[in-house]
Amino acid sequence: MSYRVGVDIGGTFTDFFVFDETTLETRALKVPSRPDEPGAEVLEGIRQLEARFGVAPGEIAHFSHGTTVGVNTVIQRKGARLCHFATEGFVDVLELARLRTPDVYDLLSKRPAPLIPRERVFPVTGRLASDGGELRPVDRASVEAAVGKARAAGAEGVVVSLLNAYRNPAHEHEVAALVREMAPDLPVVCSTDVWSIIREYERTVTAVIHAYVQPRVSHYLTSLQNALREAGVPAEPLITKSNGGVMSAEMGKTACAQMIMSGTASGAIGASRIAALSGYRDAIGFDVGGTSADVAFIADGRPQYGVGETIGEFPIYIPTVSVTSIGAGGGSIARIDDVGVLKVGPESAGAAPGPACYGKGGERPTLTDAFAVLGYVGRTDLGYDAVRVDVGAARRAVKTLAGRMERGVEDTAEAIVRVAVSGMYLEVSKLMSSYGVDPRDNALIAFGGAGPMTACFLARELNISTVVIPTAPGVLSAMGGLIADLKNDFVRTVYADLHAGTASAIGEGFEALRAQGERWLRQEQGYGGPASYIHSADMRYRGQSFEIEAFLDADAIDAGDVAALEEAFHAAHEQLHAHADRAAAVQVVNLRLVALGRTPKPRFEAAEETPAAAEPEGRIPVHADGRTVPAALFRREDLRPGHAFDGPAVVAQSDATVCVTEGFRARVDGYGHLILTQRGESGCRSTR
Amino acid sequence: MPIDKVTLQILSNHCQAAAGAMARTLMRTAHSTFVKESEDFTCGLATPEGKTFASPFDFGATWFVGLDYARGLSLIDRYDEGDVVICNDPYSGFVCTHSPDMHIWKPVFHDGEPVCFAVGHVHNTDIGGAVPASLSRQLTEVHQEGLRLPPTKLYRKGELNRELVDIVMANVRMPEQNWGDLKAQYASVNIGEARVREIVARFGVETFREGVADLLDLAEAQARRVIRSIPDGEYFFADFMDEDSPDGYPARVALNLVVKGDEIVFDYTGSDPQLASSIHVPTGGDERHVLMMVGAVYVLYTLDPSILRNCGLLRPLRCILPEGSIVNPRFPAAVGMRSLGVARLMSTIFGAFAQALPDRLQGGPGSGGPLLNVRTTDNRTGGSVMANISPITAGAGASAAGDGSEGCGANQAFFKNTPAEINEADVPIRILEYGLAPDSAGAGKHRGGLSTTMLFQVFAPHTVLTARNRDRMVFTPWGVAGGAAGKSSEFVLNPGTPGEVDLGNTDVVTVEPGDIIRVTAAGGGGWGPAHEREPGVVLADVEGGFVTVGGAERDYGVAVRDGAIDEAATARRRRAMATGAGNEFFGHSPGRVAFEKVWTRPLYDRLTDLLRRVPVNWRFFVKHRLFAAVEARGADDVDPDTLDDALAALLDEHPQLRERVEAAGPA
Repeated sequence: MSYRVGVDIGGTFTDFFVFDETTLETRALKVPSRPDEPGAEVLEGIRQLEARFGVAPGEIAHFSHGTTVGVNTVIQRKGARLCHFATEGFVDVLELARLRTPDVYDLLSKRPAPLIPRERVFPVTGRLASDGGELRPVDRASVEAAVGKARAAGAEGVVVSLLNAYRNPAHEHEVAALVREMAPDLPVVCSTDVWSIIREYERTVTAVIHAYVQPRVSHYLTSLQNALREAGVPAEPLITKSNGGVMSAEMGKTACAQMIMSGTASGAIGASRIAALSGYRDAIGFDVGGTSADVAFIADGRPQYGVGETIGEFPIYIPTVSVTSIGAGGGSIARIDDVGVLKVGPESAGAAPGPACYGKGGERPTLTDAFAVLGYVGRTDLGYDAVRVDVGAARRAVKTLAGRMERGVEDTAEAIVRVAVSGMYLEVSKLMSSYGVDPRDNALIAFGGAGPMTACFLARELNISTVVIPTAPGVLSAMGGLIADLKNDFVRTVYADLHAGTASAIGEGFEALRAQGERWLRQEQGYGGPASYIHSADMRYRGQSFEIEAFLDADAIDAGDVAALEEAFHAAHEQLHAHADRAAAVQVVNLRLVALGRTPKPRFEAAEETPAAAEPEGRIPVHADGRTVPAALFRREDLRPGHAFDGPAVVAQSDATVCVTEGFRARVDGYGHLILTQRGESGCRSTR
Repeated sequence: MPIDKVTLQILSNHCQAAAGAMARTLMRTAHSTFVKESEDFTCGLATPEGKTFASPFDFGATWFVGLDYARGLSLIDRYDEGDVVICNDPYSGFVCTHSPDMHIWKPVFHDGEPVCFAVGHVHNTDIGGAVPASLSRQLTEVHQEGLRLPPTKLYRKGELNRELVDIVMANVRMPEQNWGDLKAQYASVNIGEARVREIVARFGVETFREGVADLLDLAEAQARRVIRSIPDGEYFFADFMDEDSPDGYPARVALNLVVKGDEIVFDYTGSDPQLASSIHVPTGGDERHVLMMVGAVYVLYTLDPSILRNCGLLRPLRCILPEGSIVNPRFPAAVGMRSLGVARLMSTIFGAFAQALPDRLQGGPGSGGPLLNVRTTDNRTGGSVMANISPITAGAGASAAGDGSEGCGANQAFFKNTPAEINEADVPIRILEYGLAPDSAGAGKHRGGLSTTMLFQVFAPHTVLTARNRDRMVFTPWGVAGGAAGKSSEFVLNPGTPGEVDLGNTDVVTVEPGDIIRVTAAGGGGWGPAHEREPGVVLADVEGGFVTVGGAERDYGVAVRDGAIDEAATARRRRAMATGAGNEFFGHSPGRVAFEKVWTRPLYDRLTDLLRRVPVNWRFFVKHRLFAAVEARGADDVDPDTLDDALAALLDEHPQLRERVEAAGPA
């Protein structure tokens, strides 16, 4: 026997997803998270896996793990006490950021306080020009003074980030060496060693976040390794990364910037896998939890990537799976504002007290309570028996608004759902227009605890004709970590015009990046399989202020084929901005390389679909469009490939409730996914 | 009949999404940096009467909430399906406010009837005229500010008006950019039209019409509710621009804010007359003109961020705008630098509201930092380089809630800077310093935000620096509730050398290889008396380098010796400060205090009173002569009658003026 286990540790629950390599069966489990004692929930889960499913720890051959410890450290501001050694004359790089405040209409809006306050920023004398040449050497005495002040300030680490270092890291390395010599116990990080890009704020804040979370992440990963060892799991744990790949936990202790978005990236990877398997390769991943919904766009079965994703109050400029959080979830609270308009969220009942119907002390009506009143939720226990639903409590909570709205309780609940869904619509449609995504060509892949409940409502609003619900929507993120590849990003700034004279420098740059990639895969990850490399460059027309990533052909790079490299950029520009200027000079800002080592994937095999009408367990009353109608109730575990039924229907399963509204037809595909299609529509194209 | 509130909320979300899609289309397809970098554009939906009811708020300029297209729309006789109108003339309908802003509107039809307009504008980099980029403070007539189009059909029933495009392109300096932006605007209104059709199909045309009307009513109701929370009263405040023209005299914006119940009147009587420069705000006398409302929208939103930002918000507000003044100039006054005028309008509004709500708003405005542009030569290639290097931004005023935002905030919060690394890579200059200017903030129990400062060196001969919006050397952002004013802005050539030159409020200067330039914005004003600031907080400011040891002692009365507070010296110094403190609400800059010793409020009121009797084209001239007369007296506390005497002398000197004044009768 051999098992692959994926684990996703969230704020409330820790999810386990198990794949049995022998029988191809999957299992899922949730246990309460233990922020107080990291590692404890993993031990508990492994114990329960054995008790419930007979998964012996010694037979776990692959263990992957996504965690929010990095992002939580930033959000809770519980990271290391750092100092920034900055170029003299530029000590306010972190304080000023890029100026703009979070709400530009609010006169009192302020930028968040930087993770390193100004009193722990110390100038270092020495200056490089923008071409990397030395204008003034590093002054040892200034470093000595900075180290003295850092000591006095009780520093737990130093970030060295100097002006124009992206061109030449020599000064940063020299300063770091001096710090190590003067204070061998003081950890020191150079900005160019974390992510060497042009733009001093972006590079510095990325290095700061890295150094800020490092002690906690490292401590956490050590506890995890110990817990697994104690439990007798032989597999060396892998950590999911922000870029959707994995790396060894040991590596994660020093490459923290790479794993900040570990948790959310796993969900997008899981959704991409569902997209690829189900054949709906262009899709919108819609992961709805208690307080927020994470939206990810999937193109041709792959998630989209970006830089500048937001971690708490700060951006981080490492390639990251693009996931945008919107403030709406199952726990979003409904209220009536003082001009009588019903609002849902962004305030949330969160994990504690949670929706009123969870019976954990919540009294205010939430979106989940509205669904309970309407009759959809409460047909089974949730969270793998972790939550018991009290419909009476939901009614009492919703009733507090019904009086003021002069509506019945059911009508009020329906209004809550409509308002919440239209708020989601507003945010998702904003994202769709900025990514240029057409709803008619995309399926909605709904997961997370509250995704399957809201999906049909949102699809109708967005004009999306197809919804896909994975078999275990509540634990898709854990599954995502299981199927991720070894993957690392490398960058080198060139900031040069693209022409015959610079082609060789570009070729050499990529060669150096490939050498780094090779070393990372072979030596640092101990990977022996076939490696692949993806080449790209951040490019722009000279004079533009934003660059876009263009994928480049390795042969064209090696051959120094400038025309081909240019055309790759024109084409990318045309796709994104609907025009290209083939006469204009093209500038290459950064060269980028992704090194990829494929990990063995669980083999999900499609079963034969035997078309049949599914037999409901019973009929239940649900409230829809102002009236009560009978809906078919199904248990997810009873549904077989080929089964079909029409909405209104409710599918109860242990990690979520699927609402199939009137007008949708459901079908179970060969993998067990529920494919919901709006009747009268052909549904969006499945390429399978 | 109003539609139910649930449907209304949903309709509102759909309209917002349509406006958002318009903005993203515009940003993705526009060419000019004003759109992509500064986000100087708007877009959205307006009723058939021209009232905007949906706009994006994640992107775009913050100055145009509640823009009313009515007067522009009515200049076109007939709209057909497929028509698209453009307009950039600030004097045709007063929708456009300076010539680089190209407005566009397209009617959206349903069953042969227009149900709304998809609208928007883009700040073009250049629209022709006397100077590159079309804007300079020294221009005096709108004709110098480039090509002007009254509302004109760019498309007639879907057919492009090629001749119009050719005329525009023949008159501008970078036609391919204007054309690119125009195409982007066209794409944007088309997206708006498509989205509105979807909304109408979904909700029905009646629900759409009624819902839109309800959204405007709702914003009005919200605004009235917020206004009711402001104490009734009259609140007067005046603020000044350092110069009314290059090397000129100060210019005053005076506001009497009258809050009564759930309505507000903004009376600008007493503001400076029409001038010989381009800082006017072209309102056409529209009592709810959008540029007059920028400060009020900021205030209402800050008091209640849940407020809907549409035309309805402005209904309880009304302005009194004297004709022939800087807030209601008569054609053909130049208006290109109305941004400076609007900046001062905002600060008068903040000053008036600060008296009404000293505990709920920030004190002084953020202002006094220029947009910096460099035109130089790259010595390696010999090529000419022109680039915006960075806005130099001011700290925000402090509030009861805390210190002002550092380096940028309040009404300037939308600015983004350009990284020094990008500046150095793109432009052959070297930035020697960029950051916060210590001690620049106005002191207070809560201090203002520090301003930013930049020191840089150029390497090529005949390098031209443009510093648009230079101001606040003399009249700096003021403190409130006992707080002190922020420190002056500065613009200095070769500081700290024998060749040092104070460039004052110059906005264009030519410099030579090796020259070093310092540009600093004004600091934010403080809130509350400085001697009440916790000494520990002052010490933390010293440790953070926000305040120097000398500044701590001088401005806050906190003596810091060897990194610790000298308790005894601090107590002594603070006692003296408390005794010496007056009980004025506003803390003004030394420059303003000195100016107002001569130019008391009664004197300046008399000046503007007298000028109202003078024909518009004479006002600037007469103002300067009256200023000169007061200056000649060389004394404080000048009797206002001095001005009457000076005017009488002037009328004797110029009988042709006397004739006009007497014909007009008494003011």
